[in-house]
Amino acid sequence: MNANWMKVFVGAFFEVFWVIGLKHANGFWTWSGTVISIMVSFYLIIMASRKLPVGTVYAVFVGLGTAGTVISEIIFFSEPIKLEKIMLIALLLVGVLGLKLLTKDDKQEGADS
Amino acid sequence: MAWLSLILAGLCEAFGVVTINKLNNSRNWQSLFLLMLGFGTSFLFLAYAMKTLPMGTAYAIWTGIGSAGGALLGIMIYGESKDWRRIACIALILGATIGLKLVA
Repeated sequence: MNANWMKVFVGAFFEVFWVIGLKHANGFWTWSGTVISIMVSFYLIIMASRKLPVGTVYAVFVGLGTAGTVISEIIFFSEPIKLEKIMLIALLLVGVLGLKLLTKDDKQEGADS
Repeated sequence: MAWLSLILAGLCEAFGVVTINKLNNSRNWQSLFLLMLGFGTSFLFLAYAMKTLPMGTAYAIWTGIGSAGGALLGIMIYGESKDWRRIACIALILGATIGLKLVA
């Protein structure tokens, strides 16, 4: 696990907060938290994309954020657990892992990296 | 109108993703402004589309156009890898994301 991928994962973690915030925020503090989460998550993915390809970073960011939101809603907002949700999350993680294994760390190496 | 607005929202998001590259190449206020303009406009169009379309559907299509468009533009403009395994992984993530937004 290197620092650039760590930024993508932490960025996706913060994305979950603001997605939940956009849906459930209802006052000054919750909205402030939502806005701060948006800024932190975007800052992290911009930093990560200085070394990793943006297309990869953005797909992983959006995908993990969605998976995290679905899991949070199951845990904290008692949404029903459905088999198809679990299977889609598993597929998504396969894609993330694949990209992580395939992607060279520094996109400056050339058009092929 | 809602569908047109949704497609425009996706295109603005893809534009926003491209401006992340632009900001990395030249770190200035102009690039930051373009990035915020891209995502800001995208959210406005998305919010408008969601007034009439179901939220899950709107989100799924918006994410799909934005991420796939962003990845394609990255390949075309910035020479990101077009290794078929990379494209397959991105497609897998996108498919699963769209599926999750639709079943949620």
